[in-house]
Amino acid sequence: MNALVTLQAEFSAWMRGSADTLRARVLDTEKADRDTLLRVYRDAYALRLIEALTTDYPGLLAMAGPAEFDMMARAYIAAHPSRHPSVRWFGRDLADFLAVTPPFAGTPDAADMARFEWALGEAFDAADTEPLTFEQLAGAPPEAWATLRLSFVPALRRLSLSYQAPQAWQRRDTVPPGELDVSAEDGAVDWLIWRPAADGDAQFRSMAPDEAAALDAALGGAPFPEICAVLSAYADSAEAAAERAAGLLRAWLDAGVVDDAAWG
Amino acid sequence: MTKVADMQFGLGLRHQHYQEIADQPGQVDWFEALSENYMVAGGRPLVWLDRIRRDYPMVLHGVSLSIGASDPLDLDYLAQLKALAARVEPRVVSDHLCFTGHAGINLHDLLPLPYTEEALAHVATRVARVQDFLGRRILLENVSSYVRYAESQLSEWEFLAALSERADCDILLDVNNIYVSAFNHEFDPRAYIAAIPPARVKQIHLAGHSHMGTHIIDTHDHPVIDDVWTLYAEALRRFGPVPTMIERDDDIPPYADLVAELERARRIAAATLMTPEKAA
Repeated sequence: MNALVTLQAEFSAWMRGSADTLRARVLDTEKADRDTLLRVYRDAYALRLIEALTTDYPGLLAMAGPAEFDMMARAYIAAHPSRHPSVRWFGRDLADFLAVTPPFAGTPDAADMARFEWALGEAFDAADTEPLTFEQLAGAPPEAWATLRLSFVPALRRLSLSYQAPQAWQRRDTVPPGELDVSAEDGAVDWLIWRPAADGDAQFRSMAPDEAAALDAALGGAPFPEICAVLSAYADSAEAAAERAAGLLRAWLDAGVVDDAAWG
Repeated sequence: MTKVADMQFGLGLRHQHYQEIADQPGQVDWFEALSENYMVAGGRPLVWLDRIRRDYPMVLHGVSLSIGASDPLDLDYLAQLKALAARVEPRVVSDHLCFTGHAGINLHDLLPLPYTEEALAHVATRVARVQDFLGRRILLENVSSYVRYAESQLSEWEFLAALSERADCDILLDVNNIYVSAFNHEFDPRAYIAAIPPARVKQIHLAGHSHMGTHIIDTHDHPVIDDVWTLYAEALRRFGPVPTMIERDDDIPPYADLVAELERARRIAAATLMTPEKAA
């Protein structure tokens, strides 16, 4: 199988622009030379992957404009060739790439936008579950609350962003391409992303610092009293912390982000 | 054996048309879902897939099997495909006669194989393994290609015909792809059709393309052209009433336009296959 392996290695190198040894294997036709024909594949390779990024990152495109987006996409394609059979997952490393790679690292709002948009996509086609309802949880016996732990739906994502990427993302279609500005926050702001309905789009909202801390504790498997303890650092009294915990729990249940609860 | 009157006509399932498909039942006989689009954990794609599947037969069509690759078969991908097939219960499962990546890198294109004895033996072995894994026969589709290799010993049609017999797989014949490759590589598309074993052809694809003057690119962003319709009639005369569908992947037109284009396939099939007294 050596000849087949070599040909395929050369084709991959041609597509990715690293070598042109494939030329020698390919025939000219009466109408077109081999370089013209081979370029069809190389051009389509880049365009297909750029299109995938365009679909996943409309906010980034609105920030960068088509020319800069194209340049950024080609740099990403070269650094992170696709390793998944579905092009759906090609863009998953873009935020990390933008955060550390010059010149993109010089505009950190881009990495924040990419992080936000990828999380929206992950929430969009995460697994479906039947979220726990307030009524179901209300049926738990009083002694359950001492050890009650929450689990969350697969579509839940939680981000900390230093730029107002979600607010800018909502304006992405209202400004000319390349002119979407993303303001800096004073400090990192925590965001909750989830999908309320199986066939719906992802939604998002910012969280106050105490909610983010409580959610982190809950995601880490802390029992309900521990969540109250976390909140007491933000509250005037233990009573106020317990009240806030109950309010947050109700909000999470109503949003449909709690998958289940267990105790004992 | 399918009778002419029972011949089924389908369309590629595209998200732009989900709502209209649900609202206007019965205009199309079946849909072809792109397997990779539904290899996700949940959300809207699977909700619509299940919903439309309740009302229509479906087939699954993949682009990432990479049956001709020299990399090992991707067992994770195959497991996902098998799970999707268990969910959809498709009439057939198909992919392309090509390779789509190398050394772990996916190139996301349908790249032509060299038509050599070595490649034939390699692909036949892999088809057998895939069919064992999936527990069903698969269909392989001829791809459009832009280059031909000096080392090829067989024509594409000889390769495809021999593969179907050696691997005991079926064929999804893309008539547009035959037309495109015939123009690009200067062969007679009728010779291609004449060499394909009729018993193996279980589905036909039709699509549009982009003519660049010196070559044709298989873009699936235009209506089917007249010459491809003529070739389709030729194919029907040889293969009989094979389920036929139109593929559109870019510049997706309104659903009604594709339904109307599919009507043309129905008319051509009726005119080509029915005897005068049956047609009357």
